[in-house]
Amino acid sequence: MRAAAVIAGAGILGGAAPAGAQRALTVAPLVSLVEHRVDAGFGVERSLGPILGGVGTLRFGPRLAVAVRAFGGSLFGSTGVLDRDVGELGVEASVVTLPWLVLQAGAARRAYSTKLGRQTWTLVSLGGTARMAFAGDAIHSVWRAALLPAVSASGLRGPDMAFRAATGLEYRIRTTTLGVEYSLERYDFPAEAGVRRLEQLSALSLRLELRLR
Amino acid sequence: MRPLALAAIVVTATISPLTAQGSTAELLGQAHEFYERLEVERALPLLRQIVSPNWPFEVTQEQRVEAYKYLGACLTLAGKRDSAVLYFRAAIERDPFTELDPNLFTPAQLATFGEAQRRTFAVAVRPVEPARVDPRTARVTFTIVATHAALVDVKLSAVGAGQPRSLVQSTMDGVREITWDGLLADRRLAPPGRYALAVAGRSRLTGTSDSARVYFDLRHEVAPLEDTLPDLERRALLPERMSPEAARRDVAKGLGVAAAALLIAGAANGDLGGGERGGADVVAATAAVTGIVAFLVHRHHGAIPENVAANARRHAERDSANASVRGRNADRIAATVLLVSPAAGEGTGP
Repeated sequence: MRAAAVIAGAGILGGAAPAGAQRALTVAPLVSLVEHRVDAGFGVERSLGPILGGVGTLRFGPRLAVAVRAFGGSLFGSTGVLDRDVGELGVEASVVTLPWLVLQAGAARRAYSTKLGRQTWTLVSLGGTARMAFAGDAIHSVWRAALLPAVSASGLRGPDMAFRAATGLEYRIRTTTLGVEYSLERYDFPAEAGVRRLEQLSALSLRLELRLR
Repeated sequence: MRPLALAAIVVTATISPLTAQGSTAELLGQAHEFYERLEVERALPLLRQIVSPNWPFEVTQEQRVEAYKYLGACLTLAGKRDSAVLYFRAAIERDPFTELDPNLFTPAQLATFGEAQRRTFAVAVRPVEPARVDPRTARVTFTIVATHAALVDVKLSAVGAGQPRSLVQSTMDGVREITWDGLLADRRLAPPGRYALAVAGRSRLTGTSDSARVYFDLRHEVAPLEDTLPDLERRALLPERMSPEAARRDVAKGLGVAAAALLIAGAANGDLGGGERGGADVVAATAAVTGIVAFLVHRHHGAIPENVAANARRHAERDSANASVRGRNADRIAATVLLVSPAAGEGTGP
């Protein structure tokens, strides 16, 4: 099943890449204010903090792009909650299917570490991004949704349901794009011993995308 | 019997002009032979027959002028100078281009003819010969004559239109060739049509006046011209201003993003007590303000610079293409060749 999906994905990506297409590279440094909430049966634990990172995107023609993202930062726990560091490295391929719709598939490795231990997550996502231009084409509204069908977290069983949703705006000035976005990831783990673990990561992100060539 | 008689009448009627011409030409030939053999007394009656009103056969203008000319020549040889001048004048009046070849006629004849020219004033212009003239390199030629010294004014004009162009205004004596560069008084190439060349002269000797006129048709031979591109139609251009509907949709989009941010922050994770609601509020407020500002800006300054630039580019491309077409057409028009042909009357002007 997994092999078939990989083959199908490769077919989509390969078919979408025109031979000799013009390549374009963009980099987008970003800063986010991230809040991590976890309810493991002892009440909601909340930690909040800034993270810094960036996204590099290489476009292979007008339809296909591959992006690599990396970010990290510290989240400071509320009263009685341990501070933690978070870091993530991910890769994502996207295909423009309609002028306003991009389908995406990606994988990421994320780590949370506290002074007590370290937890790593592996995430696979399938989703899409819709962009709708305001009159004049300089401003776009952005709508993202993705399912995370394969999520593994060390020390935990995989979640029953995981998704990511985001919305925001992009302001384009020549080759520069400024994006502001609110995003949320939600994970519902299966109940164990009568306790159901819920976890979410929400972020307010500011991204400056620069087209290099 | 009757059909045969009828056929004979028809044949006679058909060949009679030829016979008449032949009779005049024959008689003129005989007179010429007598003249060459200096048998002037035998030539004179024949020539007088030809110019006589009683001569039953047709006499062309050229034959009549020839007869008068040889009558003058014969009478000069016979010592009848006054009569010779009279006949020479008759020849000159009918054809001012009449002249005596100095190699064929005696000095006395030439002198008598000169006297006739001085006493007769006439101007004339030869019928236009068919010609194909490139006005850049050649000229249309006309031949005019004044029988003696005269102030001559030659004007060319389109029949029924435009100001005449003066080609010559000077004193002349005898035959003269004048040229025309194909331009009218306004210095533009003469358009196709019918033209008249008018010659008016006033004798410097007698003060009498005379005029002559000849008509010709002018046509243009020019390579086919290209059409310029038509004006850009409305559907070929991009809208240069936002529509009111588009401006209103911006408000809806901004509010949509705001609502989605709040929905994600609240409804999607209510069991975790919300999630960074402040971030969602920031995005929601930003989106709502963006939508309203976009609406206001587009309603008051709804120009779409990209489309304006694209339309200007299309206009410029069309203008450039048309300029090229006009340039090529101008080259072709500049290479227009004039086709000149004689015309009988006034006809239609350009």
